[in-house]
Amino acid sequence: MEHIFAALAEIATVHTLLLMSAGAIAGLLAGAIPGFTIAMAVVLTLPFTFSMTASQGIATMIGVFVGGLSGGLMSGILIGIPGTPSSVATTFDGFPMARQGRPGLALGLGVWSSFFGGTISAICLIAIAPQLARIGLEFQPWDYFALVFFALTITASLAGKNLIKGLISGALGLLIATVGEEDINGVSRFDFGSDYLQEGFAFLPVLIGLFAFSQLMGDIRNPAEARRSLVQTGDIDIRIEHMKAAKIVLSRWTNLVRSSIIGIFTGILPAAGSSISNILAYDQAKKASATPEKFGTGTEDGIIAPEASNNATAGGSLITMMALGIPGDIVTAVMLGALLIHDVVPSPSFITEAPVLAYSIFIAFFFANFLVLFFQSVALKLFVLVTKVKMYVLAGIILAYCGIGVFALNNIVNDMWTLLIFGVVGYAMRNLGFPLAPMILGVVLGPIAERWLARAVALSTDMTNFITHPWSVFFLTLSLFSMGFGIYQRDRGKKVWPFYYTPLMVLALTPAMFMMEGFIRPGIGIVMVAGGLYALYRAHQKAAEFKPAAGESA
Amino acid sequence: MRALNRDTLIAILLLLFCGLLAWSSLHIRLPGYGTLKPSTWPQIIVAVLTLFSAIYFVQSLSYPSADGDKGDDRKPGLGGFLEYFRNPIICFAIYFVFLATLPWAGALIGGILLVFALLTVLGGWTPRDLVRHAIYATVSMGFMWTLFTFGLRVILPEGEIFSIR
Repeated sequence: MEHIFAALAEIATVHTLLLMSAGAIAGLLAGAIPGFTIAMAVVLTLPFTFSMTASQGIATMIGVFVGGLSGGLMSGILIGIPGTPSSVATTFDGFPMARQGRPGLALGLGVWSSFFGGTISAICLIAIAPQLARIGLEFQPWDYFALVFFALTITASLAGKNLIKGLISGALGLLIATVGEEDINGVSRFDFGSDYLQEGFAFLPVLIGLFAFSQLMGDIRNPAEARRSLVQTGDIDIRIEHMKAAKIVLSRWTNLVRSSIIGIFTGILPAAGSSISNILAYDQAKKASATPEKFGTGTEDGIIAPEASNNATAGGSLITMMALGIPGDIVTAVMLGALLIHDVVPSPSFITEAPVLAYSIFIAFFFANFLVLFFQSVALKLFVLVTKVKMYVLAGIILAYCGIGVFALNNIVNDMWTLLIFGVVGYAMRNLGFPLAPMILGVVLGPIAERWLARAVALSTDMTNFITHPWSVFFLTLSLFSMGFGIYQRDRGKKVWPFYYTPLMVLALTPAMFMMEGFIRPGIGIVMVAGGLYALYRAHQKAAEFKPAAGESA
Repeated sequence: MRALNRDTLIAILLLLFCGLLAWSSLHIRLPGYGTLKPSTWPQIIVAVLTLFSAIYFVQSLSYPSADGDKGDDRKPGLGGFLEYFRNPIICFAIYFVFLATLPWAGALIGGILLVFALLTVLGGWTPRDLVRHAIYATVSMGFMWTLFTFGLRVILPEGEIFSIR
């Protein structure tokens, strides 16, 4: 309890709340502007956090994160273009409702659903993460390495359409992190005799170069589009109908809770972020509705479901980051990087080792939802102003800011060169169809993986330790299935074998459960065997009934 | 002989890059202490990258990719490439000049010139545009410089010409 009060004392200061408010407004704006992603907004916030304490820095970034998730609804509802992929489903009913002359209510429903979804997930974060983190105390270096290895295999899921390009991108990220002097022995690697390479690449310039710099280049590539205003729309003068919307959202509490749970669960799963959860929640709301035919015409449930779920996803992804120390998506990867910059090494024992900081993150997430709700009307007015700015003006100024921002990290000009180099690399990779998210994951996780491998080998060179420690077995088994996840996604609904994927994964995880001490976990193992066998039987039935589409072979 | 497709060319470059890194990893100094050699982890990654690149190479020969921004409005040849990517190429070049002249111009003057050049190249150079861009550049960089110098206490690169950071 004293940790919670200590964390509250850190976050509930005027200074921190002001920083979080600025972050929330910036996030709301970034989320609202089509073409600007939440990840980019969080990345660009990083340089400002250097002079702050770790808890202030992370709290500011959480403000941006939550703001970004809520901001997407503004453009989605008002102009029919989702500001971020997490608000795609909001446009299905939000935009028609706005066109029917009820934009204030549509915005209100989105704002309040986001608030309640975020609050529900904040409560789950505070309740679940510390319980999950207790498992971390049992971890030994072999288990840690297996866990980080599992996180690395997520790159297969982040690869998108082209699996092999995603895997190459992830491996290149790992490679970037090996350049220069290594932490363990201080030996220089891949420096080719250059002092610049001997220093290695700092995380932030690589990140901003790959992500922000290259994206801005993409935004201004077409000269005609670069000279257009951000959004082609007239003046917007709308008042958000708060009271009416809040009542409607609360009256649809089943949809609200269901969508929030979908969001939290999707967030906990690595590599499944808010871009997926909002569509899943919309789909479930439609299936559960008594009037599914009204979906797509401006129904209230069609706005509540995606907005509650996308904000709830943030809490879910923070659970994975806090309890296990692994990033589930690019935003949490950036946050882990921010923690590293503040000399905090994220790991499963993070909550136990740095409880005040951990609880500060929980409380900041909780507060962020209130701040975002409070500043939504302010952000709406700013959004209208920003829409009048031409893309090239914004891009030019942000490019200059990127340079100054990365310089602030170590006060060395070499970091600015790194920014330019990785800006070129990122832009080339984007144009060649290589996804950047796996690369960022590789850059963040590579050094952590090597550190745990070194510790494991230093304790014992016996490699069988990796298959005799239950958590190591658990995560290595999970890694095997994670590596096949990309192919599973590709073949799902087209071939027979994906029916067996989940039941087999559940069954394959049971040996690790039986290796664990006590009665509860082997008991869970028995339940998993029974559930897995039943699921296998059901999968077999479904497979027998399955007819592949024309042109596909089963 | 059929011309190499873009993916095949990239796969070959990646394989050559892997070869270079594999050779370099053999020359990583071994300190004589610690159980995990400094070269082990990079060698594992290079091996994995080589494997993926080889798969990519084989895949590129079998199924030429339709991914990436090929640009439907892009003309063939080097001229088409330069025309299509004109804005990014010019921006990268301006940024390069900004960094190369940073020790001389400093963060404030260099930054103002950078923003002005970027805006002018991207947005046009009518007299009205030039005035507007000059104002945008001065105000935005002035704000950033003040914020970082006085707000965040960052000592930005000092220019030789006016000795202004």
